[in-house]
Amino acid sequence: MSSLEVLALLELAQGRREQFQARRPPFTDRLRRALRGLATLGHRSLLVIILLAAWEAVPRLGLIDAVFLPPFSEVIAAGWQLAQTGELYDDVSASLLRALSGFLISVALIVPLGLVVGWYTRLGDLLNQFIEICRNTAPLALLPVFILLLGIGELSKITMVIYSCAWPLLLNTIAAVKQVDPLLIKSARTMGATPQQLFRKVILPAALPTIFVGIRLASASAMLVLVASEMVGAKAGLGYLIINSQYSFLIPQMYFGILGITVIGLACNAILEAIERHFMRWKAPVAA
Amino acid sequence: MTSSVKVRFEQVRKEFVTRAEGGRPAGRFTALEDITLDVRSGEFLALVGPSGCGKSTLLDLLGGLTTPTSGRILLDGQPITGPGRDRGIVFQQYALFPWRTAAQNVEFGLDIAGLKAGQRREVARHFLDLVGLSGFANRYPHELSGGMKQRVAIARSLAYDPEVLLMDEPFAALDAQTRETLQGELLRIWRATGKTIVFITHGIDEAVVLGQRVAVMTSRPGRIKEIIDIPERLRTEPEDVRALPEFGQVRHEVWSLLRDEVQRAQQGQLADAAGVRRPGHEVTEIAHV
Repeated sequence: MSSLEVLALLELAQGRREQFQARRPPFTDRLRRALRGLATLGHRSLLVIILLAAWEAVPRLGLIDAVFLPPFSEVIAAGWQLAQTGELYDDVSASLLRALSGFLISVALIVPLGLVVGWYTRLGDLLNQFIEICRNTAPLALLPVFILLLGIGELSKITMVIYSCAWPLLLNTIAAVKQVDPLLIKSARTMGATPQQLFRKVILPAALPTIFVGIRLASASAMLVLVASEMVGAKAGLGYLIINSQYSFLIPQMYFGILGITVIGLACNAILEAIERHFMRWKAPVAA
Repeated sequence: MTSSVKVRFEQVRKEFVTRAEGGRPAGRFTALEDITLDVRSGEFLALVGPSGCGKSTLLDLLGGLTTPTSGRILLDGQPITGPGRDRGIVFQQYALFPWRTAAQNVEFGLDIAGLKAGQRREVARHFLDLVGLSGFANRYPHELSGGMKQRVAIARSLAYDPEVLLMDEPFAALDAQTRETLQGELLRIWRATGKTIVFITHGIDEAVVLGQRVAVMTSRPGRIKEIIDIPERLRTEPEDVRALPEFGQVRHEVWSLLRDEVQRAQQGQLADAAGVRRPGHEVTEIAHV
């Protein structure tokens, strides 16, 4: 019951705050700030803590069959075992390798393409219909086609990831270039910018925020498609872990696989957010 | 200050193609007609006119962003063929690059020109000092007020040392107090740098306060209706020039010239709105440079 323990600790800590206040002001100040930070964290994570607590409590109280929904602690224990046998490392690294390589290849190919298509309006008009058709063909529907053509090895999975990342990236990059404020372009031209300088020093930085929207969408899409394709045909990976555990009736393992995907998704998002924050320091902070 | 001609407009005419909804050319309309005007070297010329008289078109032509349909524009005797760093433009909406700090914005033109980072920084510091923003070099545009943004934009245009500074209603988006402060600052900068300035505005007061001469334009098609010399006394008065009787006289003169044009422009707009002349037509350019 780790979550409840945290709550209890918080209460305890808040109670102790009063004792410290009277004695050493500078230290208490720091402590108070730390506690306030912890309290906000507790406040923000309250729902998650409650949900985890419920996950732990509901099967134990027999409200749901513990076979189908094992308590949270059992899921973690199953994960610990997986980690010790090294199976977890194999699955996570297989999934990460596929997702990352597909995602990075897609970004490297599609963002430049989107920039070109966005810049040359004629090319955009030519490709528009084709893009709409492809975009609206759900990537998962094409999974059998990729497997038929490329086999069930790494190639088909990475290609799936590339394909599913391509559309959000392409559409957002094109939109990003088209949305660049014409006044900024005009202003740069009056200062004698050549087309190359215009592109490098105005279009690209101005388009970056919208391109990042595409990158965030693509990363989510990459995970989704990867897990699905690992479920269909694979010998390793988190998708394989989930589906294989279900077939073998190792239900705690299955839940741990799902948690693993959540954690990877959160980590990816946090990394992308950090990168975005680094590149977009110049943006006005959005009012909360 | 010499009296040599810096910029010469020779019978400049600019037409646009109007397009119907489907994008078909539907007709032509003349934005500027027979503009003949000399801007002297080192002069501060203010240009006023009713809205839609082609002031901004005139500035685009001077900036080299479009070409005249007929006639020509000479800068130091040479025809203008395109944009260049011999002319700096200050826009009403600042047009600062939001991803660059104030200093980096000022450096932009020098960056384009290929100056080394060290030199750029030096020049940027000097011009930020000139516009009174020494302490704000590392601020991003969103951290600056409207007046400060426009100061940065002015510094940016001055940094690459243009022959002529073109200003398109630069203070129109500012509040009245900031505007007056910046008007004073601009005059100070003008005296300090000796640049030729063409200042477009729709404010009569602003034109009279700033300009050595005020050119009044007609409503569509835009022509130069009259050029009024501003008495020297208005320009040397250190106190509030708006309180002087001469100010009122000149202001009234410009106002009477403009009044008819504004009325005509409004009638034209009403006619347009009623669909009498150009129903639902969008204006696009014939040629795009």
